[in-house]
Amino acid sequence: MRQFLTLVGGVAVLSAAGLGVVIAWPVGSPVTPIATEGNIDRGAYLARASGCIACHTNFEAGGAPLAGGAPLETPFGTFYTPNLTTDPEHGMGEWTTEQFAKAVRQGISPDGTPYYPSFPYTFYADFSDQDIADLWAAFQTVPPVDEPAPENDVGFPFDQRWGLKLWRAAFFHDPNTEPDERRNPAWNRGKALVNGAAHCAACHTSRNFAGGRELSARFAGNDQLPGGSKAPAIRPDDLAKNDWTVSNLAYALQTGLTPSGDAFGGSMAEVVREGTRFLTPVDREAMALFLLNKDSVETADAASN
Amino acid sequence: MKKTTMTAAVLIAGIAATAYAHGGATGIVKERMDAMAAMGKAVKTVAPMMRGETTYDAETVRDAARLFQQHAGESMTKLFPEGTGGVPSEAKDEVWTDWDRFAALASQLEEYSEGLERAADNGLGSMGGNISAGGASMMGGGTTMMGSNAMMDAAALAKMPSDAAFAMTTQVCSVCHERFRAEKD
Repeated sequence: MRQFLTLVGGVAVLSAAGLGVVIAWPVGSPVTPIATEGNIDRGAYLARASGCIACHTNFEAGGAPLAGGAPLETPFGTFYTPNLTTDPEHGMGEWTTEQFAKAVRQGISPDGTPYYPSFPYTFYADFSDQDIADLWAAFQTVPPVDEPAPENDVGFPFDQRWGLKLWRAAFFHDPNTEPDERRNPAWNRGKALVNGAAHCAACHTSRNFAGGRELSARFAGNDQLPGGSKAPAIRPDDLAKNDWTVSNLAYALQTGLTPSGDAFGGSMAEVVREGTRFLTPVDREAMALFLLNKDSVETADAASN
Repeated sequence: MKKTTMTAAVLIAGIAATAYAHGGATGIVKERMDAMAAMGKAVKTVAPMMRGETTYDAETVRDAARLFQQHAGESMTKLFPEGTGGVPSEAKDEVWTDWDRFAALASQLEEYSEGLERAADNGLGSMGGNISAGGASMMGGGTTMMGSNAMMDAAALAKMPSDAAFAMTTQVCSVCHERFRAEKD
């Protein structure tokens, strides 16, 4: 019995020590100063591609652009997207470019707290300094909104932010946006958009008990999206089986219309309306090429759809 | 003759599509599912024309636009009486808790498809990206970029290239589905 108590006590002490280590564990890496001049138009374009406006605006409640507050209902609780306007108190008005870079690429807030993975920062990890400078320039044009976003409504244990350090260690996967030299530039552009900025896998890949993506089921769909929406499988074979072609997929990203004549509902409606609709036809086609894993647009047989 | 044939084809195809897609629904729920399926079928016919994959035919576009009008506005909302939600219907409760918004979208579809009907003869434009505005309006501000609040009228759509008018019209479908339709899969 005494031995047992010693064991239990030992485990408790070790656990407490381990927890202390995790809590004190510094995460992320320093950001080298970003001196590049940002381009507002390019930044706004990247913000559209990345879904910033879609998620950080509460359209349902008629909220101001990027003022945050749109609820994201997940099995872990309800997350509210933060205010990204230039407001100094409730937005990013006082941030430096480097703090912004750390938030976007590493998922760490200026005070050092890790963000929840409801913010898809892992997909933005490969953004270049130029991308960051462009985004930052674009965000400077957003009028301040002097209102805080609601606090996240997340229960124990998910309200313990130190747990996110473990999450990062386990699930901060490389976004895999690097070009593949065997493929052409359009396919590679699509790869960078799909795997990076557009973060398609955030919804179209299922998540495990901890909200990490199941990499073995990449793009196999997810029927447990926040808010009860469902994301279909979008692997090349799944898409082909459902009559998707490069042409009609690019068109769907522009209009929300599917090859069967349906119009997207659910979260995808928002993705198109606030995001991909603003991209260039060339970029939408590149995304479709990569998703269908094709080198060029089908021509003759496309008409049959 | 051509118009009649096309309309008939659209109607028959619509009925056929409904037969397997909406098994189990009866009465008014089936009626509105049939209406949605008929519109979907018309979209399926017209969308490839807008992409330049099939030959553009203004009359077919007008037929589709008239079909949308038949099923929009009050013709649509009268098919959603209170208490007709729940399985097998895909309508969310929000249809009735946010009825004014639902009805406004139904009437927006009617207005826009009138514009589309008149735009059919304009033919295809070059629907490039919507990036010309750039900068601040791209970040969600401003009033351009087809902001979701900016309701246009049929006359404005009538001046657009038909592919743009078609995209505007069908975007109403998407906005309404996002808010009021449960997603099956």
